[in-house]
Amino acid sequence: MSLLEVRGLHKIYGQGASALPALRGVDLDVDRGETVAIVGESGCGKTTFGRIVVGLQPSTSGDVIFDGERLDDLVGNRRSRCRIQMVFQHPDSSLNPRFRAGTTVREPRQLMKGGGRDEIEEKVDEILTLVGLGSEYKLRRPRELSGGQQQRIAIARALISDPELVVLDEPTSSLDQSVRGRIISLLRDIQSDRDVAYLFISHDLSTVRRIADRVAVMYVGRIVEIADTTALFESPRHPYTKALLSAVPSFDAEQRNRRIILEGETPSPSDLPVGCSFQERCPLVHDRCRRETPSLEKVEGGRSVECFAVTDRVSQ
Amino acid sequence: MSAPVPDRSPDFVATEFEGPEELPRGKRMIGMVRRKPLLVMGVTLLVLFVGLAIVGPFFVRDPLSTDVTNTFLRPSRAHWFGTDLFGRDVFARSVHAARLDLAIGVTIALLAMLVGTTIGVVSGFFGGAIDELLMRFTDVMLAFPGFVLALIIVAALEETILNVILAVAAAFVPYFIRLTRAEVLKERELEYVDGARLAGNSSWRVAFRHVMPNSLAPSIVGATLVTGYAVLTVAGLAFLSVGIQPPTAEWGVMVGEGAKDVITGEWWTSLFPGAMIVVAVMAFHFIGDEFAGETTS
Amino acid sequence: MVGTPHSLLRDVAFGVQAGEILGIVGESGSGKTMASLSVIGLLPSAIELRAGSVMLEGRELVGEDLTVERSSSDISMIFQQPRSALNPTMRAGRQVARVLEINQGLGKAEARDRAVEMLQHVGISGADRVARAYPHQLSGGMSQRVMVAMALACKPRLLIADEPTTALDVTIQAQIFDLMRSLVEEVGCGVLFITHDLAAVAEMCDRVVVMYGGQVMETAGIDDLLDDPEHPYTQYLLESTEKEIDPRVVDVGVNFALTGCRFSHRCPHAHAACNEFPASYPVGEGHASACFLNKEGRVVTS
Repeated sequence: MSLLEVRGLHKIYGQGASALPALRGVDLDVDRGETVAIVGESGCGKTTFGRIVVGLQPSTSGDVIFDGERLDDLVGNRRSRCRIQMVFQHPDSSLNPRFRAGTTVREPRQLMKGGGRDEIEEKVDEILTLVGLGSEYKLRRPRELSGGQQQRIAIARALISDPELVVLDEPTSSLDQSVRGRIISLLRDIQSDRDVAYLFISHDLSTVRRIADRVAVMYVGRIVEIADTTALFESPRHPYTKALLSAVPSFDAEQRNRRIILEGETPSPSDLPVGCSFQERCPLVHDRCRRETPSLEKVEGGRSVECFAVTDRVSQ
Repeated sequence: MSAPVPDRSPDFVATEFEGPEELPRGKRMIGMVRRKPLLVMGVTLLVLFVGLAIVGPFFVRDPLSTDVTNTFLRPSRAHWFGTDLFGRDVFARSVHAARLDLAIGVTIALLAMLVGTTIGVVSGFFGGAIDELLMRFTDVMLAFPGFVLALIIVAALEETILNVILAVAAAFVPYFIRLTRAEVLKERELEYVDGARLAGNSSWRVAFRHVMPNSLAPSIVGATLVTGYAVLTVAGLAFLSVGIQPPTAEWGVMVGEGAKDVITGEWWTSLFPGAMIVVAVMAFHFIGDEFAGETTS
Repeated sequence: MVGTPHSLLRDVAFGVQAGEILGIVGESGSGKTMASLSVIGLLPSAIELRAGSVMLEGRELVGEDLTVERSSSDISMIFQQPRSALNPTMRAGRQVARVLEINQGLGKAEARDRAVEMLQHVGISGADRVARAYPHQLSGGMSQRVMVAMALACKPRLLIADEPTTALDVTIQAQIFDLMRSLVEEVGCGVLFITHDLAAVAEMCDRVVVMYGGQVMETAGIDDLLDDPEHPYTQYLLESTEKEIDPRVVDVGVNFALTGCRFSHRCPHAHAACNEFPASYPVGEGHASACFLNKEGRVVTS
């Protein structure tokens, strides 16, 4: 059984004519100690997905099961709520500006796990050391820390309650390049140390490649392809994945020559065409894509793709 | 070659738009006077007033003792502000009044702020029907001038100092509700609020332990302004013989009593307490206004 | 200005040829934006240009009155946040048309038609409809195309692009890069391309200036820089994008040394000499590095 099982997750913002479907039926499993990345462009629903998984937002329909328990039950209980934690995108606003780092890191442990004062303090020191800061940072306030240091505090806050799953929502995208690399290495070290699972949400493909075991590509509220990281990066199957990967700026001139530049822009989720939502930009589009909506189908070795052009060829 | 990066404490954090660096204290003060003359003036006046209110009463005459042989003396060495109809020393009364008026003003501002910010946090953070109801309520309250509102409340109650304080504070509560609510609406969208939820805080703890302290800045500035207005309101009520009554040494009472003396030529009984009101209100206003500009810009 | 001034930029020098794209790359606080604002003459009022010269085709720009002497056919700029750079109360087409009216003296009707043509030219399908839209009705990518149309409408000699695609998605970034390259070729202007992303520089630029803490660390042709970086900071920057880094080493953020070489307190080769400001020495043709040591660790006398 997977640690996290998401089935048919829908999220619709607003009602009636202004209804905006942010998620349109998402299925995803995350195993213990595994890193699954969700990549996609702005507005694809990846952040909404992450927020639903940690219980910060309700879903419209669908099931989220964590270790055999319904998410709603789990989140309603202080003792179990600590099992899923999150690291946010903006280190400068994700820490309470009035709290010293020690207070921020201590709070989840105090509230959700309890324990004696010395025990908690020992744990705070241990976690601060784990994130590479050391206990002398306990008295610093957020504005006295650099962006990378702030993000380390945020990671410490997420880890101190010994979670089994941490949702990382673009944890490196507002950091400088050189800092980014170190945060990623840190997250991987922590994972091998604690066996925590990550749901890594990002638009930055090069970062994802360095940390994820599996990658799910999202487009307008649906997962269009999911596969092992190496497989996905080396042989993307969905035409959107191909275009997305090829669009990343590269040092490699050859890769630049293979670039696929997509026409047009992502459609608005409130105004989707009949059939496949990628049809207007797709180089492989044919009649069926304009009539029927494809679904995510297994193609080979743990890879699923939502595209008639790919799945039809496999089934033939 | 891998580049190990030495971990040193930050000497200097660079931003692309660097502000001025720290200066020696003396130069900083001169710079301050030049850049913010009103603020410096306000603070100076306030310090003088507070000093006067605290130590003044120990050095002046009894503000209530009458002396029928010395009524309506002009300002002189013996009586700096002259004497009134009952021969009471106007300076002594003004100084005692400073203590009473400032104390009442500050109490009102703090009370209104305490109640207003608490309601503002609940309203802004939880939203929904409570918020809707509270906002309509403050709309109605704010439609009345604070003075009129306080007048109605005091008139309806027994005229004690405590009731005056409660009434005027009540009149300023909606102001703090609005200020705080606006700030809470901004704060609650920030990621640290979600972070606090995930840390196991209940909604009430998130609201009061995390969001409220970060939403107080405008209200603290507002409280400075309100202290001034509260002094003005209390004095105004007393002038209209509502609330604080003669023979209490209070600026409004003194102006009210002294107003009729002006016709017969004894201008000093009302001018000096009146001037004190103006200067005290100005002091609070200058300070509050300066910071209000800073927090909103 | 109140307070002791300290320098944001020191001894920054670079040149752009017509038709060339020069990348200015650096992390936050490196002074790359300051350098570009000095060029266009839009420094914030608290910041003063103490010394230096900016020449455009032999003309001194420093001290020029922006409103009188400068025309938009000299320098144009594209910003990071296209939507906030556009006027929210004016239709997109009108904004492009105004540039043409002011700059090329076109009549209203003519300018409007030309504006729609320009929008078509920057790859906007349904240019008529977009011309009538207000900026908030446009997507980020679309707004950036409108900005590009405005910037290039009057055929400037120099285009400054400050992180033009940082706020955009990668597939849209690829479109904008493609567009910029072809238009720059067509207009033949020089480009200052300011970014934090070395890979984007590799995509777009002919030559690169690497900045750190307000100093130019290395200047080189793009291939030289990527294949054979000379300066320790450039090496460090390139490694951080590719290789594994020890996570236990805490980043010092954008802190830099205040005296001498700004990189000295993060540099693995730092020594006593680095308390002085290093002059740059030539490495090869069009390739210079500002350091006391060359790559082999020999002291460079300058």
